[in-house]
Amino acid sequence: MSQITLTIDGKICNGSAGQTILEVARANDIYIPTLCYLEGLSPIGACRMCVVEVEGNAKLLTSCTTPANDGMVVHTATDKLKAYRKEILELMFAGRNHFCMFCSQSGDCELQRLAIEHEMDSVRYPFLYAPFHNDTSKETIQMDHNRCILCLRCIRVCSEKVGAHTLDLEKRGWNTNVVADLGQLLGQSESCVDCGACAQVCPTGAITIRDFVYRGRRNDCDDVVESVCPLCSMGCKIKAYVRTGSVTRVEGTETSSPDGGQLCFKGRWELPKSTERDRVAVPMIREGSSFREASWDEALDLVASKIKGAAKDKVGALVSDLSSNEDLSSYAALFRYGLGLGKYDVFNGDVSRGFLKGMEPVAMQKVRPFTAAHNILESDVIMTVGADPQEEAPVVASYVRVGAIKNGASIINVSGDGAPFPGVTDSDLRVDESDMESFLGGFCAMVADVKSGKDIDTSELADRFDLDAASVCEAVKLLAGAKKPVFVVGKKAAKFPKAVTAVTNVAIVSGGTFDDGLAVVPLMTSGNSLGALHAMLGQESWLGEGDLDVLFVSSTGLVDEDPETLDAMAKSRFTVAHTPFMVHPLVNMADVILPAQAWFEVGGHYCSLEGESRKAEVIVKPGDERIGVDEVVSGLADRLGVTLDRSCSVGPCESVFLSDVAPDKAKTVEL
Amino acid sequence: MSKPKVATVWLEACAGCHMSFLDIDERIVDLLDKVELTSCPITDIKEIPKVTVGVISGALGNDEEVHIARDIREKCDILIAWGDCAVMGGINAMRNFMKPEEALEVGYKDTLSTVNPDGVIPGEDLPKLLPMAIPIDDEVKVDVYIPGCPPDADTILYVFQEILEGRIPTVPVDMMRYD
Repeated sequence: MSQITLTIDGKICNGSAGQTILEVARANDIYIPTLCYLEGLSPIGACRMCVVEVEGNAKLLTSCTTPANDGMVVHTATDKLKAYRKEILELMFAGRNHFCMFCSQSGDCELQRLAIEHEMDSVRYPFLYAPFHNDTSKETIQMDHNRCILCLRCIRVCSEKVGAHTLDLEKRGWNTNVVADLGQLLGQSESCVDCGACAQVCPTGAITIRDFVYRGRRNDCDDVVESVCPLCSMGCKIKAYVRTGSVTRVEGTETSSPDGGQLCFKGRWELPKSTERDRVAVPMIREGSSFREASWDEALDLVASKIKGAAKDKVGALVSDLSSNEDLSSYAALFRYGLGLGKYDVFNGDVSRGFLKGMEPVAMQKVRPFTAAHNILESDVIMTVGADPQEEAPVVASYVRVGAIKNGASIINVSGDGAPFPGVTDSDLRVDESDMESFLGGFCAMVADVKSGKDIDTSELADRFDLDAASVCEAVKLLAGAKKPVFVVGKKAAKFPKAVTAVTNVAIVSGGTFDDGLAVVPLMTSGNSLGALHAMLGQESWLGEGDLDVLFVSSTGLVDEDPETLDAMAKSRFTVAHTPFMVHPLVNMADVILPAQAWFEVGGHYCSLEGESRKAEVIVKPGDERIGVDEVVSGLADRLGVTLDRSCSVGPCESVFLSDVAPDKAKTVEL
Repeated sequence: MSKPKVATVWLEACAGCHMSFLDIDERIVDLLDKVELTSCPITDIKEIPKVTVGVISGALGNDEEVHIARDIREKCDILIAWGDCAVMGGINAMRNFMKPEEALEVGYKDTLSTVNPDGVIPGEDLPKLLPMAIPIDDEVKVDVYIPGCPPDADTILYVFQEILEGRIPTVPVDMMRYD
């Protein structure tokens, strides 16, 4: 890209052709005030705060939308501009009902900050006092049109990053309003995915998150820590706001990243909510139908004695794959290598095993069998296989929606339950996940045939699976014609490893590759499912296979335990629950409850679906009584006479699957 | 030379601005060395004399308040609008989304905490409500604006000191706030 040089406020600034004046100015540390502009969203030049003077041009130009040209001479801070910006601010205050004294966002508001910055001590225009609606129909978010400045950040983030297209404008001029679903109240919206991205980007008090209003504005908070959301395998980067030792607010980070700094309903609401749960403060031992408090020594002695007294094949350890690599390594060092247990596993082990086994044949070719989730945005045909991305990894669902609606990608769905993206799915093939291997095998062969110019007859395959032959034919042709197909595989398909292998075959045949690997996005279930693969993922499922003498369960308390786990706990003769929260029914099943550090008290590394190792920081320091996993494991190891081998740590994220061979060299696998 | 005189009035507002004035604490002694505080809710002098500095806290909501605002404007050289109500209408402006009659109904009858079995709305002997509660400068010229609900004591003192130095001040950015 050709380099350009322009003069901004007397400073020689370098930029690239195609950049706007604002981008060049920011890159050169020159401040231009903005309101509607947000990095990562398309600039619209609506608020006129970023106007600049360009020599030779009689008009004031919005720097966020005006391309920077070589040789331009720009002024950003003249008296004329200051007066103009102040006037715009006064008009905004006069037009709507911006009364900071009764706005919950006062002190946290970009409009207020700019008005003060521009020395707006009064408003010279008559206030209109037009009545605007305050939409309180939604449980989580409040939309007060009185405070809206029509910057459209909410509308743009909803369409460009979340892909939900819930928000839009109604009416014109002074009466313009942001509405959901072309006129519904926000609480009645069917398209809203409840991610809260609109509230995060709102510069005023127009869209606010109800909880946060009372838990502390950003400016009231003592600390902001960047960390990682552990709730699903996307591992979204978060900013956690801490006030008086409590996490009051969780937001996405970089608006310039592919996800636009969005979070999903899980990260946005559940993470701060979790801090309100009852904590397990001290170790507790069951006595009859209740628990009594115990010392760490007493509790660990009891647990160790039970493990010692049991046969090795009667002891199980089940660990949450929401844990960090470091914690998983500690558990592995004790249970898997130290004690040599055969029965160790992570929650949702079946899903992770399905992906691991299904991808193994391709991985053995030294090809990385999956790709970073954000590559979905680059794709022209997206195939969802046994997946419900909105439930399994909602930000992946955003990528699919944006890919389909904004980038015009086609969606093919193959699942037993129907299309997860109704209305934007081009081809919906109902195939039960248990038949997926067989169906995709036939499907793959036809894609190969079309690619090599052969005629195909889809009637036999369609008949076998009770499908419409024309639909199957259309899907095959869509995929065969795709330039950059991508495959989103869900947990239902992952329960059948061969189905996963069949998907990788379709990806190989249809030319689905990206630089980092094969174009398959596996929707692993938990924050660190990828990290857990080599540490604590068992070889086979053993839950429910006979009663255990001792079952050690480590839970982060963030997600509910599945019925199978709870059943196994109930059947076990002695159960240890290592958990930070008094979550039921988990603690009801336990004989010993060991307090654990909560997600915001633990640092460590997570291996995300983006294929990156992401570092989770300690957001709030744990109290002295809440010792880390490593200390608990060491305590047990000492009592059991086990020497812990620290070298059996989880490998770095990049080596979860090595990529020595270019993905387009991958060969299909015999099913 | 006699000390410059200051008069303050408290119109449609809470007592916050005047409380903030008192919050300048012992520095008020130094200030009173330099100015003479005439009619003011603190001195309880009712008649506004001719003064150098007039101060209005509160918005204009009825006939009498408009009369007082005009009176103090006529009698002062420099008029200060003190606090968000005087500057922008403030919390009083919340009634501007309904008619004055409705506002009275809500205020005297419909509010849950109101006990008014006879449904009496004080009327004839009280000043007539304006159609809307308005900022001071909708009615009279204002020379100095001090936004804030209430303005900080430091800001109030800063403005007085500037005026005593012969300058017509604006509130600097680092002192300005609206809430």
